[in-house]
Amino acid sequence: MFRRTRRIALISALAATAVILTACTGSPQPVATSTGKPDADASLAVGLVLEPTNLDIRHTSGAALEQILIDNIYEGLVTRTQDNKIEPRLASEYEVSDDGLTYTFTLNEGITFHSGTALTAADVVASYEAVRTDATLQGNADFAAVASITSPDPTTVEIVLTAPNQSFLFALTGPAGLVFQTGDTTDLKTAENGTGPFTLTRWNKGSSITFARFDTYWGEPAGVAEVEFQYVPDFTAGVNNALDGGVQVLTAVDPNLASQLEDSGDFTLTTGRTTDKATLAFNNAKAPLDDVRVREALRLAIDHEGLVEAVGAGTTLFGPIPELDPGYEDLSDVVSYDPERAKALLAEAGQKDLELTLTIPSFYGTTVPKVLISDFAKVGVTLEVDSVEFPAWLEDVYGNHDYDLSFVLHVEPRDVGNFANPEYYFGYDNAEVQRLYAQALAEVDPDKSAELLAEAARLISEDHAADWLYNGATITAVSPAVTGFPKDSINSRINLAGVTVLSEK
Amino acid sequence: MIRYLLVRGALLIAGLLVSSVLIFLTLRVFPGDVAQLIAGTQASPAQVEALREALGLNQPLIAQYADWIGGIFRGDLGTSLLTGASVGEELFLKSQVTVPLGMMALTIALLIAVPFGILAAVLRGRRGGTALSVGAQALAAVPVVWAGMMLVVVFSVWLGWLPPQGFPRTGWSTPGKAVEALLLPALTIGIVEGAMLMRFVRSATLQAAGQDFVRTAAAKGLTRTRALIQHGIPAVGLSIITVLGLQVAGIIVGSVVIEQLFTLPGIGRMLVADVGTRDLIKVQSELLVLTGFVLIVGFLVDLSHHLIDPRQREAA
Repeated sequence: MFRRTRRIALISALAATAVILTACTGSPQPVATSTGKPDADASLAVGLVLEPTNLDIRHTSGAALEQILIDNIYEGLVTRTQDNKIEPRLASEYEVSDDGLTYTFTLNEGITFHSGTALTAADVVASYEAVRTDATLQGNADFAAVASITSPDPTTVEIVLTAPNQSFLFALTGPAGLVFQTGDTTDLKTAENGTGPFTLTRWNKGSSITFARFDTYWGEPAGVAEVEFQYVPDFTAGVNNALDGGVQVLTAVDPNLASQLEDSGDFTLTTGRTTDKATLAFNNAKAPLDDVRVREALRLAIDHEGLVEAVGAGTTLFGPIPELDPGYEDLSDVVSYDPERAKALLAEAGQKDLELTLTIPSFYGTTVPKVLISDFAKVGVTLEVDSVEFPAWLEDVYGNHDYDLSFVLHVEPRDVGNFANPEYYFGYDNAEVQRLYAQALAEVDPDKSAELLAEAARLISEDHAADWLYNGATITAVSPAVTGFPKDSINSRINLAGVTVLSEK
Repeated sequence: MIRYLLVRGALLIAGLLVSSVLIFLTLRVFPGDVAQLIAGTQASPAQVEALREALGLNQPLIAQYADWIGGIFRGDLGTSLLTGASVGEELFLKSQVTVPLGMMALTIALLIAVPFGILAAVLRGRRGGTALSVGAQALAAVPVVWAGMMLVVVFSVWLGWLPPQGFPRTGWSTPGKAVEALLLPALTIGIVEGAMLMRFVRSATLQAAGQDFVRTAAAKGLTRTRALIQHGIPAVGLSIITVLGLQVAGIIVGSVVIEQLFTLPGIGRMLVADVGTRDLIKVQSELLVLTGFVLIVGFLVDLSHHLIDPRQREAA
C-alpha cells in the first residue's frame, strides 16, 4: 500500500514537472502523452452537428443516419470506400455476368447478427425482397429493375436484373443493401440488430448516441471499446466542447472556427473531399429561367472563386458530377466570371430589372445568399431571399416546383440522374441528356459508362441547367492520440473499423 | 358549492375540447409533411404516397382527429411519427428541465415582486417609490431575449460565473451543475415577469390601503405603514394568486423562447423542433398538455377564490 502511494506521488510530481516545463517553452505543440500503442479498452468521443431523427435506416432517409450506422452497426453485401469505390463487405467476393444482368455474391463465413443468430443467404434474400416489394423502404426505386433474388446455396446470393444497370451495385452500398435478420421484431426506430463491429448501447435523444464493440464480430474487431457520438447543433458550442476536452474528434468544423482548434495545439485538422454539391437550382420549366440566356447570365454573374472564399472551404465545381463520382471532368471552361457578358445576355433576352426569388432552407445560413445578392446586383438582377423551414422547402420547391431559384446542398453521390429526370424539381428536360444517361446506366463496362456520364454532364452544364456554386469540403479536427479516423466523405460515412486511440502514459 | 364545481368543471372540459379542435386545425395550415421528410429528396412521389398512407396521413381530417382525441381519452398521448417514441414519456423527460425552470423563474419573480411591490406602495408619492415604479415599468417592457443576452454578457462573458448555454449531459444526477445551467434562464424570465408582477402588487397594496379595515387599524394607533403590512397585505394575497395563474401561462410562453436561447433540452425546444419536422401528432399532444395545464391552473385559481372569498360564494 505504501509503495503504491509513493509511486503515485512520484508520477504526479513527474507529470507536474512535465506540465511546467512545457508551459515554459510556450510551444503550441501538443504534449506527447501517447506511447504510440493502441489502447483496446479506449473509448472515443466524436462530436457531430446533425443528429438523426430516428434510427430506422430502412424507412428514413438522411445522411446523419447513414453516417454512423452503415458499416458500424449494419452492413450490406458491398460497401464503399472513402473515395466512393465499391468493395465487398458481407460478401467475400462478387461477380457480375458479362451481360450485366446477373450478380452473384458469395457470403463471408461466421457472420452473426447482434442477437447471436447466424446470418445466412436467406436473410439477404428476405431483406432485399422487402426493399423490392415495399415502396416505403429506402431504395425501393433502385430495385425497380430487379427480376429475382435467390440463394442457390446457403452462402450464395444471386440477383438478376431485367436490364443492365451501372448504378445498381452502388445502390447496394446504401440503405437498400443492408441485411436484416429474417422475422426480427426489433423496433428499428430506437434499437438495432445489425451485423457490424459495433452495437448500439444507448441513445440519449438530443444529446448522444453510444456504440460498444461487438466482441463476436465476424471480421477484424473494432480498435476501440466504445464510441460516443455527441451531438452539438451549435458550431461554436461544439468547438468549445472540443477545446474543453469533451471530444477527441470534431467533425463538420465551421471553417471560420477551424483556426481556434488548430491554434490550441490539441487537434490536427484534416480537410476531406465530399460529394456535396452546393446547387443553385434554376426552375428550368418556368419563365424567365426557361430561357437559356438568362440561366447563362446568372452563372456568368457569380464569382465562384469569391464564393468559395466566403464559404471558407470547398472547391469550385462547374458541372453536376463531383471529383469522387464516375464521369467527373473539369468543366471550368464552360462558364467563367464575366459580369459584362452577363449583362449583355440579359439585355439580349429582353430582361430589364429582373427580379428573382431564392428559396433556401433556413439552416443554410446567410453567407451564400449574401454573396449571390451582391453578385446579381452587379448585373442588374434583384435577388429576394425567402428563407423557409425544410418541410416547407420540400413541399413548395421539391414537391410543387413553385420557385425561381433554390439553394440546397445535394449530398448524395452519383445523383446526376436527377438532371435526366424531367419530373425532378429542376424541371430540366433534355432528350439528349436523358438518352446519354440511360445509355450510361445500361453500359456494362464501367469506364465506358463513366465516359457517357461525362458527356451528359458537359451537356447539362452547357445548358446551364443549374449552377454548382461549390463542391463542399469537410473539416475534421482530430486529436493526435486518435489514429485511423477517416478523412474523406465522412458526412456520409464514418467507418470506425480502423480507428484506434493511443494509450496515455 | 357542488353546483359551482360541476359548472366550472364542465367549462374546463369544454375549454379543452375547443382548444383541441383549434390546435388540430391550425397545425394543418403548415406546408410540408413528415412523410416527405422521412422519404427524402431521392424518393419518387409514389414512394412518398405509400409512406403517407402507412403513416395514416392521407386519412380524412375528421378521422385523424378522432384517432388522436380517442387515444387521449384512453390516456395515450400518441407516438411520434418520426421517432416512434411515446409522446407522454418524452414530455415527462423534457419536463424535468422545463418544470424546475418554471418554478425557479416563478420564485425569482415573487422574490422581486412582493417586497419591491409593497415597498413601492409604501413609498408612493416619494422619490424612491416613483423610481421603483418607473424601473418596473421599464423592466417589464424588456424583451425576454434581450434580457437573456444581457445576463449572459454579464454573468458568463464578463464574470465567468455561470455557463452561457446548455444543460449538463448528466442531467439531474449532477444537481449542482443542473441548477447552475438553469440559473441564468430562470433569472431572465424571473426578472421580466417579476417586474410585471411588481406593478400589480403595488397597485393591489394601494387598493388595500384605501380599504376601511386598514383605515380602522390606523385609527387604532398603528402607523399607516404597519397597518398596511399587518392588515392590508393578507388581503392582497388573494388577487396575487389570480395574477400568478396568468403568470404561469406567461412563463410557459417565455420558456419556449428562453430554452431556444440557452439551448436547454426542455419542452419549449422540443416543441419548436417538432414543428420544424412536422411531427404533428406530437406537437398536437404537447400543445394540448400545455393548454390543459394553463386551463387547470385557471380552474384551481377560480376554485380557491370561491373557497376563500365568502362574497363570491354567495354570488354563486
